[in-house]
Amino acid sequence: MSLIETINLYKTYTVGDVQVHALQGVSINIERGEFVAVMGPSGSGKSTFMNILGCLDKPTQGKYVLDGIDVTATNLSELAGVRNRKIGFVFQGFNLISRTSALENVELPMIYNHTPAHKRREKAMEALKAVGLEARAHHMPNQLSGGQQQRVAIARSLVCDAPIIFADEPTGNLDTKMSIEVMDLFTRLNKDLGKTIILITHEPDIAEYAGRLITFRDGQKVSDEVKK
Amino acid sequence: MIDTFLSVFRISVKAIFANKMRAALTSLGIVIGVAAVITMLAVGSGTQKSMEERFSRFGTNILYLRQPWDLDESITSPKDITMDDVRAVRRVRGVTAAAPYISSGFEVKYGITKTTIDVLATDTDIFKAYDWQLASGRQFTEQEISSYAQVAILGDSIAKTIFNDVDAVGKTVIFDEVPFTVIGVMKKNGQGGFGFDMDEGTLIPYTTGKIKMNTGWGNSDPRSLDQVIIRVGDFNKIDEIKVAITNSVRNTHKIHPLGKDDFQLDDFASFVEEAKAASKTMSILLGVIGAVSLLVGGIGVMNIMLVSVTERTREIGIRMAIGATSADIRLQFLVEAMTLSCIGGIIGIILGVGVTMIVAANSTSIPAQMSLSSIIISFAFSAATGIFFGYYPAHKASKLTPIDALRYE
Repeated sequence: MSLIETINLYKTYTVGDVQVHALQGVSINIERGEFVAVMGPSGSGKSTFMNILGCLDKPTQGKYVLDGIDVTATNLSELAGVRNRKIGFVFQGFNLISRTSALENVELPMIYNHTPAHKRREKAMEALKAVGLEARAHHMPNQLSGGQQQRVAIARSLVCDAPIIFADEPTGNLDTKMSIEVMDLFTRLNKDLGKTIILITHEPDIAEYAGRLITFRDGQKVSDEVKK
Repeated sequence: MIDTFLSVFRISVKAIFANKMRAALTSLGIVIGVAAVITMLAVGSGTQKSMEERFSRFGTNILYLRQPWDLDESITSPKDITMDDVRAVRRVRGVTAAAPYISSGFEVKYGITKTTIDVLATDTDIFKAYDWQLASGRQFTEQEISSYAQVAILGDSIAKTIFNDVDAVGKTVIFDEVPFTVIGVMKKNGQGGFGFDMDEGTLIPYTTGKIKMNTGWGNSDPRSLDQVIIRVGDFNKIDEIKVAITNSVRNTHKIHPLGKDDFQLDDFASFVEEAKAASKTMSILLGVIGAVSLLVGGIGVMNIMLVSVTERTREIGIRMAIGATSADIRLQFLVEAMTLSCIGGIIGIILGVGVTMIVAANSTSIPAQMSLSSIIISFAFSAATGIFFGYYPAHKASKLTPIDALRYE
């Protein structure tokens, strides 16, 4: 069974009187341990697709099964639990909580699954070690460089042992050197820890890191190629 | 669960302290509200306590006969309260004592020192009415009363002040230039009714009080009394005894059967009513201030929480993305609103306790008494304000969708 399986997903928004068909029948299977890059121009529906895959949104029509769970049939509070257990998010803007130390930011997901405090600290420290930031555990986000902030965000995505990491333009705010650092980290997480990584990007050289490239246009999947 | 709550609480405290000035201004209304509530409760329970003290000292068997303070307009020539009334009351069945009562202040001289002293002009029935005891010496004699004798019975404290440990009986004191012989000294009693403090005061015969002294007395008619202190034997019969006293005094005053009373007969209950009415005004005032401040403070909390929710929309999105449910978000903002108003509550309690202590130290007419329950009640008020006014912003935050919240700039 695939880790991610979507069958004929449709998503329609109503903006004023206009209906926007953001997704028009997308079916994709992603296996455990894959490193997938999703590309496409803006308005192609890739963000909508990622929101649905990330359980942040629900499709208008179609079915989405994630690790054996029929996501389309769950309610909102169950969906929050699914995100917590199955998915780690890494965003373009890092999305760390300000005035809160790196360590506490990494602990955050575990507050919502009621992990005891001492266990939280321990696991958060482990995750920071995995991204090479244990020395910066007590720094605030604004005391860290962009690359370091993104690595804190990656540590946060690891801490609940979720099988999937969704990375939405993770290098969009980083310079070349930091981008390479972050992408190397993703590659290592994919190879060493077997994490399934789904990456949205519009930079071809970033997409190069992935083993599979899916391209979107006008709400539909237009290409899906596995490298090698 | 407690663990989670502590984490949420820490997040709230951090968020509040990130905006210290804003938090301080927001909680000001709560501070004033809680301080007013706590003072109000203290005045209320202080009045209760002072009532209970009077109750336990005099019992409920005391009646006070006096001219009304606000006389009915239809009564054109009210009769004074005189010794005729005292004698009439004494004849009523069930009355065990009826003492004339005229009070004023004297200047007292001893050696080179001058001071003022509370004087109660009365007769021996006052001992029975108030259950007062002599420490040494004797009470007035009939002969002393009828002959306007210049004799005095000193209170415990004033006797010690003037004569130290020497027995005062037989000594002479000068009241307003007139020499009086001390014939007795009271045991320690504590404060009496209507603010007369026997320990710091002196008793003289009512006759002497009216005739010999020519200064400091308010009544024009030399025979009129301030009031009559009446003791009844059986509290259970107090209502019928009151009727009998009223009839007897109406007879003495020759009031027409359809005419209105030109006097007033108060029992313990009406005394309590008066004191309660005085403290009630104060309580109502404080209650209104408290309610309005808590309302305004609560709206302030709601306002600032709405601002906070908007400012932190992105943070809410992040939290939702990593697994916070709507209920988690709602709890966080509720706890934050509650923490904010409870900080105001704690400052308000400190302020209220301070105000109460100042009031209690400086005012005898407004008794104030602090109690643990009033502190708990006012703290609960502040917490409830936080929950009530924090609910809407918290609910609003919890209704955000993760995508919209994350997209918010």
